[in-house]
Amino acid sequence: MDKNEGILTQLGAGKFWDKRSDGWWSEASSMDVEKMARLMTAAGARLVTITAAETSKGEFRIIYHWDLEGRMLNLVTMTVKGTICSIAAIHPASDWMEREIHDCFAVQFNGRDSAPLLLSPEDPPGIFLHQSRDDQEGKERAR
Amino acid sequence: MSYTVPIGPYHPALEEPFKLELKCQGETVQDANLHIKFNFRGVEWLAQRRNYSQAITLVERVCGICSDLHTLTFCRAVEQLAGLPVPARAQYIRVIIAELERLTSHALWAGIAAEIIGFQTMFMTCFSVRERLMDILEIISGNRVHYAMNCIGGITREIANPHAVLEIVKWIRQEIEDTLIPIFTTDRTIRARCIGIGVLTKEEAIAWGVVGPTARASGIPVDIRRSAPYAAYDQLEFKVPIETSGDVFSRAVVRLLEMVESCRMIEQAFKQMPPGPIRGPEFVEVPPGETVVRSEAPRGEAFYYVASDGSDVPSRVKIRTPSLVNMPVVRLMVLGANLADVPIINASIDPCYSCTSR
Repeated sequence: MDKNEGILTQLGAGKFWDKRSDGWWSEASSMDVEKMARLMTAAGARLVTITAAETSKGEFRIIYHWDLEGRMLNLVTMTVKGTICSIAAIHPASDWMEREIHDCFAVQFNGRDSAPLLLSPEDPPGIFLHQSRDDQEGKERAR
Repeated sequence: MSYTVPIGPYHPALEEPFKLELKCQGETVQDANLHIKFNFRGVEWLAQRRNYSQAITLVERVCGICSDLHTLTFCRAVEQLAGLPVPARAQYIRVIIAELERLTSHALWAGIAAEIIGFQTMFMTCFSVRERLMDILEIISGNRVHYAMNCIGGITREIANPHAVLEIVKWIRQEIEDTLIPIFTTDRTIRARCIGIGVLTKEEAIAWGVVGPTARASGIPVDIRRSAPYAAYDQLEFKVPIETSGDVFSRAVVRLLEMVESCRMIEQAFKQMPPGPIRGPEFVEVPPGETVVRSEAPRGEAFYYVASDGSDVPSRVKIRTPSLVNMPVVRLMVLGANLADVPIINASIDPCYSCTSR
């Protein structure tokens, strides 16, 4: 079992890696992201970024993109009622990434001492959501 | 007695808005807070409301210095989603433009760094090099900033006069090797202002996930062109300069050595470039799916996540620019520094606030 397979087994979340040309992917609706951050940090992985994408059910797919020895490992999970645990205390690189997702999608990262906005205080958290709700017309115009 | 010095949001070191709040004891910095996002334009949100072709023009405007990198990375993502092949000739031309852009960016950085430490003649020398580089890009694309060279499946135009481009590259390589590198590495003023200043240790660089020349100057050999080659980088021979001191001087040396490597890559690319088409089959549709793509920008790894719902408008575009992961470590670099060294420390990561805010 190589290092990447071992991480997934220890995580006990996704059952297998989907090995694609753009990296390895694994998805689990429920994932202990703090444990993931500890395992990845111990393995020497670098957090490339975190992606949030809104689903039709009002929750968010959260994708942790890691670089482990040049290979992209993409671990996908979901928020629960718009919240997910913060990994900023375990992996400092995630600090601004979490703050940015909070600014854009109002996702709450639990366990942070503070989550100051990167945007100005005049812009409420979830700026992408506020704008998207009344913008179906804009999307139609692009077609 | 400690006091707070606010620098910015206008002109802290470069001509883009960014705010640093420095807590000082005497002239020594004890803590720092960074404020960004003064240039927030909602590019990701806008890209999700334009079709794929329109989005290329949009992402080109994420940055005025590494504009080609953004179109290249976005087009690569769409090509990956749609399974579109890119002709070999187009892959080489993509490398040539990307390396010309890296040279332009590093020459700009070197000039501004020289100006910040008061070395005006060096500033003029660097900008004369940059001017020639912008001339090349204008010869090739008709534009000095937004080159519009990438399209989905290839590139938009040929390089009409390769000999003229190679002549200028030869002159630039000579200027770098005979003037920029000797002066930057031996001049007493530069050495006094840069050696041992703004140190980022290897451990800190790993913990904060920094990328590009900032990481390579702290001993981390991270370069996407080498670890996950794209375009024609796997066909070219080049070195990835690494320094270990992690100070402002190391970051300057890494960039200067990279400029020489960029010239070598351009020369090799022209030599090896095969004849043939510059665009693949007509781009018809993007099937549902998601993908991630990374490219090595002048400031480090740039990352794009693009998702498709099968329509002609991307359902999600996520852009992570190198400055977003490099900027938080400025706080570590300025701790214990002399207040007068803060501008050059800040500039040494070559921050791009426009990229970071998007």
